Amino acid sequence: MNSVIGIAVKDIKTFFRERGTIFWTIAFPVVIMLLFTAIFGREIPFNANIGIVDYDKTPVTTSIISGLNGTGAFSLKVYTDKTEALKDLNASNVRGVVTLPEGFTQSLYYQNATISMAVDETNPDVARLVRDGIRTYFSEYYKAFYNVTFGVDYTEPITVNEEASVIGQKIGYKESIVPGMLTYPLLFSSMVVSTGAIVFEREKGTLKKIRASPVRPINVLFGKTLAALFQTAISILVMSVLAVMLLGPNLNWNIPLLTPILFLGSMNGIALGLIISCIGRAPQEASNAATTMGIILQFFTGMYFPIEYLPTYLQQIGKFIPMTYAAQALRDIMIRNATLADLALPLTTLTITAIALYAIGVLLYRRWVEK
Amino acid sequence: MIIEVDRVVKHYGNVRAVDDVSFGVEEGEIFGLLGPNGAGKTTLMEILCGLRKFDEGKASIQGFDLVKDSRKVRSLIGFCPQETLLYDLLSVRENLSFSASLYSLSRSKFKERVEFSSKVLGVGEFLNRKAEKLSGGMKRRANLAASIIHDPPIVILDEPTVGFDPTIKREFWELIKNLKTDGKTVLLSTHDMYEADEICDRVAIMEKGKVAALDKPHILKETIGGQPSIHVRVKEAHTKKALAALKGYDGILSGDEIRIASKDPWKTMTEVSSKLSFQGILTEKIEIVEPTLEDVFIKLSGRKLTEDSQ
Repeated sequence: MNSVIGIAVKDIKTFFRERGTIFWTIAFPVVIMLLFTAIFGREIPFNANIGIVDYDKTPVTTSIISGLNGTGAFSLKVYTDKTEALKDLNASNVRGVVTLPEGFTQSLYYQNATISMAVDETNPDVARLVRDGIRTYFSEYYKAFYNVTFGVDYTEPITVNEEASVIGQKIGYKESIVPGMLTYPLLFSSMVVSTGAIVFEREKGTLKKIRASPVRPINVLFGKTLAALFQTAISILVMSVLAVMLLGPNLNWNIPLLTPILFLGSMNGIALGLIISCIGRAPQEASNAATTMGIILQFFTGMYFPIEYLPTYLQQIGKFIPMTYAAQALRDIMIRNATLADLALPLTTLTITAIALYAIGVLLYRRWVEK
Repeated sequence: MIIEVDRVVKHYGNVRAVDDVSFGVEEGEIFGLLGPNGAGKTTLMEILCGLRKFDEGKASIQGFDLVKDSRKVRSLIGFCPQETLLYDLLSVRENLSFSASLYSLSRSKFKERVEFSSKVLGVGEFLNRKAEKLSGGMKRRANLAASIIHDPPIVILDEPTVGFDPTIKREFWELIKNLKTDGKTVLLSTHDMYEADEICDRVAIMEKGKVAALDKPHILKETIGGQPSIHVRVKEAHTKKALAALKGYDGILSGDEIRIASKDPWKTMTEVSSKLSFQGILTEKIEIVEPTLEDVFIKLSGRKLTEDSQ
């Protein structure tokens, strides 16, 4: 047999005998295709949370709200107080706030209807889609209203007064992408490094040396974690320096606030990596699992890909992924100048998940050692 | 006894890999587990090092129970497995330093142990070389140095010279003997009968998970291995004549040699030699061959020790 064919045949046979590797090799394209189908296989591949403040409270405004909700592009949250709505906008709970002023219905008949709109600018893609979507809806609504009421076509849209966005300035792509880029090492570097750390020792047999010593299993994991943290920190540092040098984004580099978020985010990634390394039998399997998980999770965390592109049911998954909170916290610190008090939720969530995932990692490692 | 193993049993599924094994190792001796591959030697060693759990029985190291005091036991043992467990990209010194950290060695103690390893194990000449750049023999020495960096009273060596050429093997035997001189108790596994004979004070012969015999090598050979034998080789044309001349000695033709068992080999050799010369038969070779541990194993198991192990 030709040596090239011989090597290929050997590798293919090995591949088919590593069940875990086969699983992840098949799981990766399947999950990615399902995700893309869920995202782009819809008529309107976008859904953002929108706040609406109705000061007019007429059947017409009720039908407007109902119609806006029925577009499929927006999930509406109705507010009675604009301040509350803007507070949620500031926290990115809603991506835009539309205010229907008192007398809005009456002004429709006088052809001088005006609404106000404030849009979350922290992600230019989402801001554009929200802005365009709202403008198009009100334009189309007015056309239909005028046609039904007066029996003639009317082409002038409702005037949309755009209010200054809450953060006070429009964010460019580079500003919106850098916090997401800093999430990358948390998801990939930390997880892949920690997966590799245990798998490497196991494959090489050096774990036997460590296990034959009086070192406690937990100390082995702590040592591995410290090294993985160090490597993740280098990755973050290099990425930050390059981001500043190459993109020069206008961001708030609040180191005292960024550090705990980056640390906790890394700990979550490392803990996930430990879990994968203890479950995966072959190094290839563990490596495939870590890479596949990293690639899939990035869709749900909103680090690069706005979660508004996901169907609403998939958007909910992001709430259960720690890295979503890290990505949002980084954005809040760097774009919105968030304070420590604003970060209570992500800090708490990341701490709890890091402890829980790490504890699972420790248990799995102990079980593996005892086996 | 510094190591006590009492009726230890270990199953792998339905297979009893270690089957009711009991023995004791005295302080300062070199104790060998001799047997073919699959006899249960490595499993037993890994049990003693805390790497594997066992199903039944008891074992202790320096009086510390293997299960209850596992951390203490691990600190008393230096385990050197068959494979070289060095980090290729680290230098030998860095590898030693890592091993020292596993046992929380102080800086001064580490320095002292590196000096010991340089002097006794000869790692000094390549201390700063990366492990990937070492020859096989150097790697084994560095591996042994890393295993005993914490100065343990007991050293467990799993097939320490497997794959070595005879010269390096002899060098390694000297290193193991040096460990004994240094006051260490050595437990080693091997399927090399010469190795067991050469360096072990006592040997346990293992077969199918059991200890088939245990004693000093010369006692095993005397009691189980059978009598010494005289091996005679004559010119091929004279073989039949020689066999006839030595009829009264129950000689057996094995290959091109006539083998005669004897309780008094020196006397028999003299008689055989004079009988052959009296008949005008020229001898090409005549020698006394003592029974080996291989013979002991054959007597115990009915098969050769090296058949399975090669």
